[in-house]
Amino acid sequence: MVRLSDLHPEEAEHMLQRAEGLRRREFDFDATSWITPAPLAESTIALITTAALHRRDDIPFRFADTGFRQIPDDIDRNDLVQSHISVNFDRTHYQRDLNVVLPLDRMHELADAGEIDGVSPMHFSILGATDAFMLEPSAAEMAERMHNLGVNTALLVPV
Amino acid sequence: MPFPLGRPLGVADNPDFQRDVLRSALELLESATEPTIVDYPHEAPEGEGVWACAIELPTPEVSELEASLRREIDLLMPRYEEARRRRGRTTLGMSGAKPEEIDAVVSFAIAVAEGSGFEEIPKSASGPEWIHPMPMLVRFVVEDLRAFYQESVASDNGAAPPSQHDMHAWIFEQTALGRLIKQIAQLISDDHDPRLLFVRGLLIPEGFWEGGPTFGGPPPGEDPREFLIRSRRYLRGQEA
Repeated sequence: MVRLSDLHPEEAEHMLQRAEGLRRREFDFDATSWITPAPLAESTIALITTAALHRRDDIPFRFADTGFRQIPDDIDRNDLVQSHISVNFDRTHYQRDLNVVLPLDRMHELADAGEIDGVSPMHFSILGATDAFMLEPSAAEMAERMHNLGVNTALLVPV
Repeated sequence: MPFPLGRPLGVADNPDFQRDVLRSALELLESATEPTIVDYPHEAPEGEGVWACAIELPTPEVSELEASLRREIDLLMPRYEEARRRRGRTTLGMSGAKPEEIDAVVSFAIAVAEGSGFEEIPKSASGPEWIHPMPMLVRFVVEDLRAFYQESVASDNGAAPPSQHDMHAWIFEQTALGRLIKQIAQLISDDHDPRLLFVRGLLIPEGFWEGGPTFGGPPPGEDPREFLIRSRRYLRGQEA
């Protein structure tokens, strides 16, 4: 996460307001039991990007969209576009290298080296500018789909 | 990760650094025994020197916005096509227009900047299958143009890679595209529909709008939450 001091003051204030909004919701971490993950060498990992990436013929993310889109692991990289609404984040590196927001190549390198067991055949994308609590139904559906794909670990890659 | 927003893996075209970021995150799965936050200890490597655009664009003429914009696009097109060929991809297409339909993207943006309004798709912009409702489509049309410009100049050989701030400064201070975006933003400001100010905030990054903060707010007396709800319906195309 970027340092607040590196943001324009208006953007920093917006971030602080969002954080305060989440604090007021009083999410109870203790209500959810801690799950001991599988060892990395036994982990099959799916990526979840908050960059609102989707295929060109997908329905794009709408303002405050709470849904998700699927990204096949073997997707043609030119078939991916982005409908994230914010103009306040850096797209220059993503435009040069998709791995900056969706590290497909890096994940396969870790799998080829035996550091992880495998990479999911499907990855997932959400619009990070959405109220996080409103994403809960999508999170449950993504988890079920991952489970059905044999995925035992999800890596959230927040932009 | 102390990287700019939009760069969770830190830096483009640096597999070693990206792998280290990934490993650091994944290793928490084996070491953490409760919800844990750990700071990544390294800054993203930056290129040497200061980025400067390697192509000189003519000074945009105030009275000829469309001609200036089309001239810039003609000048940038060979660089865009080369970057696209080299990378095997382009991020242009957020509006629904295909990369080959950039003429229609320009026609759309020019029409809006010249006052066609924020309710109807400009008649001069026929062809592409636009995939967003108005007025949010304006934001994605502009973003397609911004992507075209950035992809064209962001990897000039021998130049330090630009930051997003470099790109914004270049676009808003030196290009006809920047003037076009500001012209659209001024029309939004003059429209007096507070819901539209969301679109202005999604067109112009903070710090590049002379009038102050780019986003507006609810009109006096309206509950902020109610305002947000009706703005959301409007921006999703569910309410005129």
